[in-house]
Amino acid sequence: MSSDTRSKPFFRLRQPAGRKQRLFSALGIWAIFFGVWVFASSTGMVNELLVPAPQKVFASTYDLFAARGFAGDVLISISRVLGAFAMACLVAVPLGVMMGSFPAVEAIFAPFVSAWRYLPAPSFIPILLMWFGTGEAPKLALLFIGVIFFLITLVMDHTKNVREELVETALTLGARRSTVVMKVIFPAVLPDIVIAMRQMLAMAWTYLVIAEIVASTTGIGAMMMRARRFLKTDEILSGIIVIGALGLLFDLAFAALHRWMFPYLRKTR
Amino acid sequence: MTADSILEIRNVSKSFDIAGGKKLLAVDDISFDVERNSICVLLGPSGCGKSTVLRMMAGLETPTSGAVMIGGHAVDGPGQDRGMVFQAYTSFDWLSVQKNVEFGMKINGVPAAERRERAAHFTELVGLGKFSEAYPSQLSGGMRQRVAIARTLANGPEVLLMDEPFGALDAETRWLMQELMIDVAEKTNTTMVVVTHDLEEAIFLADKIVFLSSHPGRLKEEIVPDFKQGRRIGDKEHVVKLDGYGNLEAHLMRLMREEGRHAA
Ligand SMILES: Nc1ncnc2c1ncn2[C@@H]1O[C@H](COP(=O)(O)OP(=O)(O)O)[C@@H](O)[C@H]1O
Ligand SMILES: [Mg+2]
Repeated sequence: MSSDTRSKPFFRLRQPAGRKQRLFSALGIWAIFFGVWVFASSTGMVNELLVPAPQKVFASTYDLFAARGFAGDVLISISRVLGAFAMACLVAVPLGVMMGSFPAVEAIFAPFVSAWRYLPAPSFIPILLMWFGTGEAPKLALLFIGVIFFLITLVMDHTKNVREELVETALTLGARRSTVVMKVIFPAVLPDIVIAMRQMLAMAWTYLVIAEIVASTTGIGAMMMRARRFLKTDEILSGIIVIGALGLLFDLAFAALHRWMFPYLRKTR
Repeated sequence: MTADSILEIRNVSKSFDIAGGKKLLAVDDISFDVERNSICVLLGPSGCGKSTVLRMMAGLETPTSGAVMIGGHAVDGPGQDRGMVFQAYTSFDWLSVQKNVEFGMKINGVPAAERRERAAHFTELVGLGKFSEAYPSQLSGGMRQRVAIARTLANGPEVLLMDEPFGALDAETRWLMQELMIDVAEKTNTTMVVVTHDLEEAIFLADKIVFLSSHPGRLKEEIVPDFKQGRRIGDKEHVVKLDGYGNLEAHLMRLMREEGRHAA
């Protein structure tokens, strides 16, 4: 432990933990997790078949990618998420901005959109399968339905929060309504839209896995269901790890995108 | 009605619909003129309808009865001829200072070269020449208000409307900004209407003070600070020391007290 933990107590009431302490704590909790896992599987406390050792899971993850063409499944999953998510954004962002800018537009769409939000997207799976068969369409449709209504509402709420003074400033500078929306409201709300997209992308991953587990022969979820048939718990766990890693990766990518797009949000004083 | 008044407020009343289907009479039958190239200060206790009157001049609110005339025409909505500066910061955070100042000209189709030149001129005028490439989030409160003022002036309004523009600033910065406004008024010949509840600010800036009483907002008194002898004096300390400053301040304090609110 470092010297500052000697001078101050480790558990300080409502005082921020230092960088070192946070890193130490984060590594610590994961070390304990893997420690317990390794211990349990090596001492035979748990059934090797149901809970394979972590080293075995990592080995089969490597094997999946190196020898079994798992990368193809991963790419299919990624393209499903990104494709459906992009389509949802193309509709939700303009619509949400319009709804947040014009109460008349909100009055038209809000009753419709908010009703759909109460319908869990997976409840559409059976009907989507009947309508679209087993190709890509039902999966994309599920992701689309699962994401779009929340995204519209988030974008609308953020748009409404754009301060009235900004709008009025633009009006008194001689801006027309369309100019106010395009040149003031939209750029003002854009950072929040990107944050909303980041949150919704995480949700899209959830629906993807559901779609692939229920009705797919390709993708990460389908691989996991295949593995289940052959009692390959190590491969199921590999799938979980890869999904988690991808989720984290996309989240970091969005955070980086946000920093890159909005340098003016970084305060230098 | 004088020949050279640019804004005429004619029997203007405004009532707002409030909760319970009731109406609140915020402004009651107010009439006054704002002379061209003058600084007119709207003074009164808070809640007396100063902002409402200013917003009707801007075209952001519509009078319930009466009319606001600019250059002889009734105001019908906001327009480029009446620029507005708010108390809250209104800098467009995604644009540099330069682009903020260019904004009005850009949406009004001023060619790029002229835009750049005018923006540079007004950025310099408000003392932000060195910060033209900075983002507003990197500036202090006073500097952000300077951006808002430069942005409005660069758009070439006939009237500059300001609603407690320095209310959020600390005393020292507010003082500097008030002196800046005298300087700007002298250099640009822009008519200004300034809302404030700060007596000192009113006396220092005003060519004419329009005092409103509250609930409902009525015109109580129009006051010309004669002691300045029609001059604009850019040094606040100097103004405070002039004969007659104290008397006027005492008079305004009395008016404020009569309104039963905070006296200065
Ligand atoms: N949009 C509005 N809706 C309802 N009441 C309002 C509205 N705007 C102002 N008022 C009321 O009108 C009165 C005058 O307000 P305002 O013009 O903001 O006063 P001031 O700027 O002098 O403080 C206040 O009582 C205020 O509550
Ligand atoms: Mg006000």
